[in-house]
Amino acid sequence: MDASERALLAETVRDALDGARGPEGADLALAGVGWLDMLDAEPRDAVEIVFRSLGAGNVTASALDDVVGRALGSPPALAAVLPRFGAWEPPGAYDGKRVRARGLATARGSRATEFVMACRADDELVVAVVPASGVEIAPIHGIDPAAGFHTITVDAEAARLEPVDRGAWDAAVADARRAIGYEIAGAARVMLDLARTHALDRVQFGRPVARFQAVRHRLAEALVAIEALDATLAAAADEPGRETAALAKIVAGRSARTVGTHCQQVLAGVGFTTEHPFHRYLKRTMLLDGLFGAADDLTVAVGRQLLGTKQVPTLVEL
Amino acid sequence: MTTMSDFRAELHAWLDAHHDDLAPRYEPPGSLDEEIAQMQRVKGILFDAGWMRYGWPERVGGLGGPPMMRTELGAALASRDLADPGHFSLIEVLAPTLVDFAPPALAADVVPRLLSGEEMWCQGFSEPGTGSDLASLSCRARADGSAFVVNGQKVWTSLAQYSQRCVLLTRTGTLESRHRGITAFFVDMDTPGITVSPLEMINGVREFTEVFFDDVVVPADRMLGPLDGGWAVAMSILPYERSSCFWQRIAYLYRRLELLAALTPADDDRAAEAIGNAYVALHTLRARSRATQHRLAAGETLGAETSIDKVLVASAEQATYEAARRLLPAGLVETDDSAAAEAWRNELLYARAATIYGGTAEVQRNIIARRLLDLGGDD
Repeated sequence: MDASERALLAETVRDALDGARGPEGADLALAGVGWLDMLDAEPRDAVEIVFRSLGAGNVTASALDDVVGRALGSPPALAAVLPRFGAWEPPGAYDGKRVRARGLATARGSRATEFVMACRADDELVVAVVPASGVEIAPIHGIDPAAGFHTITVDAEAARLEPVDRGAWDAAVADARRAIGYEIAGAARVMLDLARTHALDRVQFGRPVARFQAVRHRLAEALVAIEALDATLAAAADEPGRETAALAKIVAGRSARTVGTHCQQVLAGVGFTTEHPFHRYLKRTMLLDGLFGAADDLTVAVGRQLLGTKQVPTLVEL
Repeated sequence: MTTMSDFRAELHAWLDAHHDDLAPRYEPPGSLDEEIAQMQRVKGILFDAGWMRYGWPERVGGLGGPPMMRTELGAALASRDLADPGHFSLIEVLAPTLVDFAPPALAADVVPRLLSGEEMWCQGFSEPGTGSDLASLSCRARADGSAFVVNGQKVWTSLAQYSQRCVLLTRTGTLESRHRGITAFFVDMDTPGITVSPLEMINGVREFTEVFFDDVVVPADRMLGPLDGGWAVAMSILPYERSSCFWQRIAYLYRRLELLAALTPADDDRAAEAIGNAYVALHTLRARSRATQHRLAAGETLGAETSIDKVLVASAEQATYEAARRLLPAGLVETDDSAAAEAWRNELLYARAATIYGGTAEVQRNIIARRLLDLGGDD
């Protein structure tokens, strides 16, 4: 896709999601613009455009299930069992008879008839599909009830089982992290837009607060964090792999925190109320940071890797 | 050599094969004299082998090819500790000025001397009253027949005590004319009336200098660009400074982090967090700088958005040395007199300058606020 095709698609996706009602409506809207075909044909652009739009619109959908499912080679449009909050291991285990799993499900989980999940089976990896009758699922309210997440526990005989290469889980984690990174990037841009608009409109001491250097520097800091995230996401797309995706996810979590902190301070009183949309973006990014590994935990994991190998690889070249 | 990755591979293979010739003949860090002599020697070897000539136009003794080849060379040298990237990358803020603004015969004569290590040059921009606000400079050049007479002072001039030439910004208009009344010259440092006085930095190194100009006569044909056109000369350096120079610094910082990792036990989560933090900052910077350089190579003009690159360089450099400060063995920086400890101490202290030179962290944020966020003027 060239730049103008991407812009056109982004507009189409945005418009479709704008008109959607609820998580099921958002999934239908994405289906309507050909999301699953796009994901197969142009995964890089599809993931970037759709997840940025979800983040920017604060839309709840279940596109993450599709990203994970695709990497695991599962049939399209199933509900996925994702790792528990903060974790990134395969959520399931298969002992030769039964599939047991604990993890998260997106909004799709509440209406799904089948679930797909990656399971450890001794040293192998299998992808299991189990019927909804074998799962217990309960909505999570937590910090962002609108995000539509559920806890899910599986103890069932698998309807289908497919051994897959162990690398399939690494690929699923990397793809999911990139997707979540784009969703956070979309949300972070909106937080900055909201704070910027407020700083220009809000008059104190006879002038817009945007004229005060202390305020300007906070907004500048937020933009640096957002641009940093975009750069690491582009690097992760250009050089796909476990490491570049993990780093992009770390930067996503950190950037969200930086942008959230500075923008909330600039928004001051109004950003502290639920009358202003800011709180929805802040809470959504706090939640997204914990999916497939939070920034702080991943930073330690990456550091351990460097200290273990005594190698500091550059990952991207000119 | 069709692609950058082929070029990189051939370059590294060559550097591997010639490691013994190129390696410093002293225990690093060495004195500044030793380090500069090493750099010039390495440049000479690389020039003779052709590597120093890639990426430069043929009319100044180069072999052509994209400027990114120069960047790869500088990064390769930095990652192997063969030349200090801060000193080596000065080429990028000096030679392009000659290529773009000097009379062609002058450029053809002098650029090869710089590239081959026969000469060193310095950049006379900053002044005591002119830090981040470069357009306020006051070192004056007065027309006198077919020459100009320069009077004034420069400061923070890197390595002037080793330099044969200086790319000098002077005031030719009124002070009020700001950036419209500045003219650039290429000045021989052995001209009577020039005095160089090194400044000792916080890390004990005398890398920066003050340069005094007392009735220094500069021929008019040494003007770079037109009269009162010096601002464009100064600004033309920005894309090189914010691409190639940064990339070389990045390569150096990755190497520093690797040295630090080698000194740090593997089983400590506190250490893993500190190393991880620095690595995240370095990767972020590298990803950003790569995108910037691809834009430049595609013909885009770099501008205010490179203030973001500058902020990220400073953060990554300080994160790297913050990790060093936390993880180096207790007392190494404060009380150890070995050469290795001296190197860490120098660098750790020098890293504080990352948010000061080339436009302070605050100035970068002002630019981001005004130009990129369009917040209008400030108070």
